[in-house]
Amino acid sequence: MKQDALAPRPSLAPARPWFQSGKFLLFLAGLLLVYAYGWQVTQIDLPELVIGAKFVRPFIRDLARPDILTRQRLTQQVEVAMSVDPRVAPEVLPPPRGPVLRVPTQVAPVGSAVQATGSGFQPNAQATLFWVNPIGNPQQVGRLTTDAQGEFSTTIIVPEAFRGPEAGPRGAQQRLRVVVEWTVGPLRPSNTAIIVLQKIVETVFLALMGTTIAVLVAVPLSFLGARNLMVKNPVGTTIYYLTRSFFNIMRSIEPLILAIVFTVWVGLGPFAGVLALGLHSIAALGKLYSEQIESIDPGPIEAVTATGASALQVVRYAVIPQIVPPFIAFTIYRWDTNVRMSTVIGFVGGGGIGFILQQYINLLQYRQAATAVWAITLVVAAMDYFSAVVREKYV
Amino acid sequence: MRGAALRLEHVGKTYPDGTQALRDISFAVQPGEFVVIIGLSGSGKSTLMRCINRLIEPTAGKIYIDDVDITALSPAEMRRWRRSIGMIFQQFNLVKRSTVLTNVLSGRLGYLPPSYALMNYFPKDEVAWAMANLHRVGIPEKAQTRADQLSGGQQQRVGIARALMQEPKLLLADEPVASLDPATSHSVLKYVEELNKKDGVTVLCALHFLSLARRYGTRILALKGGEIVFDGLPAEIDERRFKEIYGEEAEEVEIA
Repeated sequence: MKQDALAPRPSLAPARPWFQSGKFLLFLAGLLLVYAYGWQVTQIDLPELVIGAKFVRPFIRDLARPDILTRQRLTQQVEVAMSVDPRVAPEVLPPPRGPVLRVPTQVAPVGSAVQATGSGFQPNAQATLFWVNPIGNPQQVGRLTTDAQGEFSTTIIVPEAFRGPEAGPRGAQQRLRVVVEWTVGPLRPSNTAIIVLQKIVETVFLALMGTTIAVLVAVPLSFLGARNLMVKNPVGTTIYYLTRSFFNIMRSIEPLILAIVFTVWVGLGPFAGVLALGLHSIAALGKLYSEQIESIDPGPIEAVTATGASALQVVRYAVIPQIVPPFIAFTIYRWDTNVRMSTVIGFVGGGGIGFILQQYINLLQYRQAATAVWAITLVVAAMDYFSAVVREKYV
Repeated sequence: MRGAALRLEHVGKTYPDGTQALRDISFAVQPGEFVVIIGLSGSGKSTLMRCINRLIEPTAGKIYIDDVDITALSPAEMRRWRRSIGMIFQQFNLVKRSTVLTNVLSGRLGYLPPSYALMNYFPKDEVAWAMANLHRVGIPEKAQTRADQLSGGQQQRVGIARALMQEPKLLLADEPVASLDPATSHSVLKYVEELNKKDGVTVLCALHFLSLARRYGTRILALKGGEIVFDGLPAEIDERRFKEIYGEEAEEVEIA
């Protein structure tokens, strides 16, 4: 039998390895084409990540110091009249009471250095110097801290300021202003914190109302969308397909788009958001519910029927235990999803925290934006955890 | 044949698609018998069981339980009759998400007003009796456990406890051990046997393994293609009969 083992192999050409096969190379070329086009059409520009980093840095930095707590702020403000043109006399201001800001000369051309000294201010407070143009626009020219006696002394450079619409002598009459600012009293929630809190509560309730509306509609609809109940006669089959199509179409429309439609319909505000989330959730929940009804185990129904139980008892003890816990789990999960959705629905005017977050970002108020971002993070994470715990318990 | 616990006369079942699951089945079971029904899958064992408590409506013949023609009963009357017919299943058919105790109590529903169900209310003495039945099948400590946390053997014991709640005179067991291992099969069948011997419950039990049928049955009914092909004592099934029931290719498998 040894000869069998030694018998020469049939002289077939060795199979080419898989990575040399024509099909694979064609596939590779196709893939390359797809990704090359994708790279181009999405304008991927990796250097921009580095170049643009400086723009996002303030925002990242402010994330670490959100505007949550604050003390009461007190300020002292004193102005002295200046002129940038020797031919024009400075305005005459009423002499200040209390702290005093002094300059050696009230006439200083643009670009010259002016020694500004102050006394009688709040000690150890933040002082900011502004150059104010004829129409009242301040421009920061210095920043320092007052000493223990409430005095300071600094040199500023007179800036080129917009002289206002009148080209005449009035344009040369400008002012130097100092604002001394300090905080007193205990820490308290900032205005931003209060607004963010109100809006995040609105967000959670927006999601709650949307989910509730969805549950009320989706529970009855889901029975119409359950194949095992409906597909028994032509009428039922038609209703089944209509319901399922409704679920599938509505589910494919993002709540954000629905929110735009509803803001046109009922106006800006949370109600539009509730309707948008509600409509989308009807479809999402309806599909989940009806799949749950379809997957019901007929065994327990048979067993409870066999004990002589009535129809009501069979529903109570064999059907409800099979569908209610998953229904609850799906609903909580949906609420959780809706809270996440409702944070962005405000971007299109649908109410909730997204509305103010967008405002803060547009106004470059990054500390305030950070407060909103943290609030969203906390609430979404909490909802996520809560929904996971509840689902674990029920399923 | 008066006085029989169960009597079938020319019972037939034809499904709407034309399948003849049962043809002209006639037999009578005396009170206290342990009748084992054997036969290949699809031979009509399950259909026969379900015709007896009318979970499936027979299309021909009459079924008498304690000399009452149950095929003539109205649905409401049939519900009352079902209370005295316990049933256990191959897949146990417990409500998986409910507790063991609730599953056992559901065996008592036929005796309770339906309105209790709305409140999920069970009288105290029923709960106590459910616990007593759980004691009897040896798993009282599992009362508050969810049914799907139990092993297969334990689940079937819950199924038996549920049937016990009905105070049955007749127990239908549809392949109660087909999804259990051999050792567990015996422990479950011993409870069924005890029910039969101690409480005098008439048992109709479908089994796959002939060895189990010989060990527990006082009488064996064999079904093939919806017809009775054998009705006699366990000892009477020899090689020739076995081949008749299970086909020429079959070989007997022992189960310890």
